[in-house]
Amino acid sequence: MSDEIFYATIRELGTRYRKREISPVEVTRALLARIEKLDPLLHAFVTLTADRALEDARTAEAALRRGDENPLLGIPVAHKDIYLTRGIRTTGGSALFAEWVPDSDSTVVRRWQEAGTVLLGKLITHEFAFGLQFPGHKFPAARNPWNLDHIPGGSSSGSGAALAAGLVAGATGSDTGGSIRGPAAFCGIAGIKPTYGRSSRAGVMTLSWTLDHTGPMARTVEDCAFLLQAMAGHDPADPASSTVPVGDYLAPLRRGTSGLTIGVPRNYFFEGVDAEIQRAFEEAMDTLRKLGAEVRDVRIPSLRGAMSFLLILMAEAYAYHERDLRERPELYGDVLRERLLAGALVSASEYTQAQRIRSEICAETAEVLRDVDLLATPTTPKPATPFTLAHDPEFAFPRSNMAPFNLTGLPTLALPCGFSSTGLPLSMQLSGRPFEETTVLRVGHAYEKATAWHTRRPPV
Amino acid sequence: MADPHELPLEELRQRIRAAGITIPENRLAMVRKLLGDALAPVRALDSRTIRTIEPAVKFVAEPKEGGDRE
Repeated sequence: MSDEIFYATIRELGTRYRKREISPVEVTRALLARIEKLDPLLHAFVTLTADRALEDARTAEAALRRGDENPLLGIPVAHKDIYLTRGIRTTGGSALFAEWVPDSDSTVVRRWQEAGTVLLGKLITHEFAFGLQFPGHKFPAARNPWNLDHIPGGSSSGSGAALAAGLVAGATGSDTGGSIRGPAAFCGIAGIKPTYGRSSRAGVMTLSWTLDHTGPMARTVEDCAFLLQAMAGHDPADPASSTVPVGDYLAPLRRGTSGLTIGVPRNYFFEGVDAEIQRAFEEAMDTLRKLGAEVRDVRIPSLRGAMSFLLILMAEAYAYHERDLRERPELYGDVLRERLLAGALVSASEYTQAQRIRSEICAETAEVLRDVDLLATPTTPKPATPFTLAHDPEFAFPRSNMAPFNLTGLPTLALPCGFSSTGLPLSMQLSGRPFEETTVLRVGHAYEKATAWHTRRPPV
Repeated sequence: MADPHELPLEELRQRIRAAGITIPENRLAMVRKLLGDALAPVRALDSRTIRTIEPAVKFVAEPKEGGDRE
């Protein structure tokens, strides 16, 4: 089997399955062999479920023979290890849950399973979706396939690394301050954080209740659309889940960008951005203009308070972890423990003021989105961070271009828009109005069709 | 020039005492920077001038099926 199959899109795999050119079992076997070869370098997987994958693949083959048309039939996926999986250990990337085996699936896991996906395993996450694994941790940190000396981003680090290395065709991520979009940016893939309430968080370990989102990661925007279609929708088990009907994410992808107006917020998002990223972003805007979109500058002044997200995250994360931090602090990773404890130092008044700032950002962003259909911004100010820097305990929590969209809950897609001179991927974000994932995906898909960044492969 | 976001070390120690937790000395600088950055927007805020759009609980008045209607 040629290597190209490892980077096949969901549509290509489905077409080839239905033409009987290849089978889900053959693809699964090939991927398991590739994982065995490459994962000792990448550390993307924390648990491999080979038997389960082959069983899923055989089930998918039977369904394909019956003529089942579900587009995710036989598609090889893996889940970030904060998604609970029945009968499969779910570690949260932490020694606290190193051997925990849940007795139920998270809603998203169940929905992908019902869609006929093949589960290859569980992907490493930064510990509790917050703390990078330092040397000596129970689980090693995932490495970036584009350069093993750099982090793949986090917290969905294993998801980003596995997709970039061609180990899976789709993966789940979660995003509290950029944990889907950051790894997507650093690994040269796509990832969408849907609108808050669009995709269920039930059965997914919490980091920060009011900021947490679940969403898909994949190598193309269309693949994200396929995966989101199968995970979106109301879930009574998630108190924040929305009852807004789910649209068709696939069909509108072909509509292109004509008639759409894209706003570029020139304040906040460009402070400290590398020249290479700025240049790649401006070129991407030129491409979108050529594709028929109107691109113009906008301003959201209240974003000066965007780092209030960190205060909200710290306070909520401490509330979630308080008991374990008091009773078994030694099981938390180095540095993460103190990061979480810092949440105990936030006063009730400060937390409330941070939520007021958030409300102002939400209101002002909504006002801007009356005049434009989308916002476009660089996803990160810099390309992937080297481990030597990330492993410095004094390395500051970076100022985030992604967090404003956790505060506002708006649907936001990250996709590749270039490469640095050192060969690391660069990325832009597209954000839309609440529940307008379709528009975000549509513009991302049009851009992707007009460029070739997503077709580059890392040197693993 | 001093970082305007910098949290005074004494204030950090007071907060740690008040919270009843322990932070090792070799992690104080990291926590100080993290908390200082997180607090910066709140400290820059004049709580009297910001728009009063607090988060609020929203209730749906309709009773659930089988709920009390009398």
